[in-house]
Amino acid sequence: MVKWLGNWNPVLWCAMIAIMVTACAGTGDVTSADVENQAFEDLRNEIRAVVADPARETEAIRLVGVLQKDFETLHSTIATRTIRLRELNADYDTSRADFEAFLASIEAQARERRQNVTATHQALLAAMTAEERSQVDKSRSRAINAAIKSMQSI
Amino acid sequence: MLVALFTILILGGGGSGMLDFIAVTQDDVKAVMEKDDRRKQVLATLKAMKKRVTAHNKAFKQTSKDLDKALSTDADIDAIWEASFALRIKYNGDMLDMRFQLRDQLTRDEWQQIFASEQA
Repeated sequence: MVKWLGNWNPVLWCAMIAIMVTACAGTGDVTSADVENQAFEDLRNEIRAVVADPARETEAIRLVGVLQKDFETLHSTIATRTIRLRELNADYDTSRADFEAFLASIEAQARERRQNVTATHQALLAAMTAEERSQVDKSRSRAINAAIKSMQSI
Repeated sequence: MLVALFTILILGGGGSGMLDFIAVTQDDVKAVMEKDDRRKQVLATLKAMKKRVTAHNKAFKQTSKDLDKALSTDADIDAIWEASFALRIKYNGDMLDMRFQLRDQLTRDEWQQIFASEQA
């Protein structure tokens, strides 16, 4: 089998690889952003189904929008910091002080995020009863599970 | 769902090992360095880094569990925030120590070859 494959023309190999890459690209039409959007939409639907009071429902749905925005920001923050950290590391002359300054800026961002997340969390606590929150929290659609897995990997 | 989302947001993603990518460069080191005592030392440093990453990930998972529990019960999450910050600061300090130890063990040329793909 190995010998047979070894006799293949390089052009054939290239064609085979191209076919495989195209096939893989075809299955990847749904991006992680699509999955996350669907997950947040599922969450909004669950809130609509569970929260009886229209005013609290509107507020809870608004807060899901805030939460979704926070995630988008987190994604882009992590992507930027990963690139920068790898660049700093790749430079043989980067000093420890340079690293420490960069890591301190990340901590400062995390502390700022703390304030925003805490405020959103408190507002959601106020917008839903404990029973409603428990029901919403138990709801896990396929998109929600996929989005949580995707978010846990960032 | 909500608790899981808040947990991820608070912890800044699913993992916080920011310098962990350095620990998985054994194959590059083996490709770049001759098989000698100096390479042994470099690989030992990478092994120590990996060990530190594993310990950090374990502690991080526990923090995540504590946070899940606290968010589900409306408990005060401030203490867990602070614990998560402290955990990450200690981890980053330890990883930086080992990163600079590694740098001292490698020549400029070796360093550039190992991390060539990440240069700006």
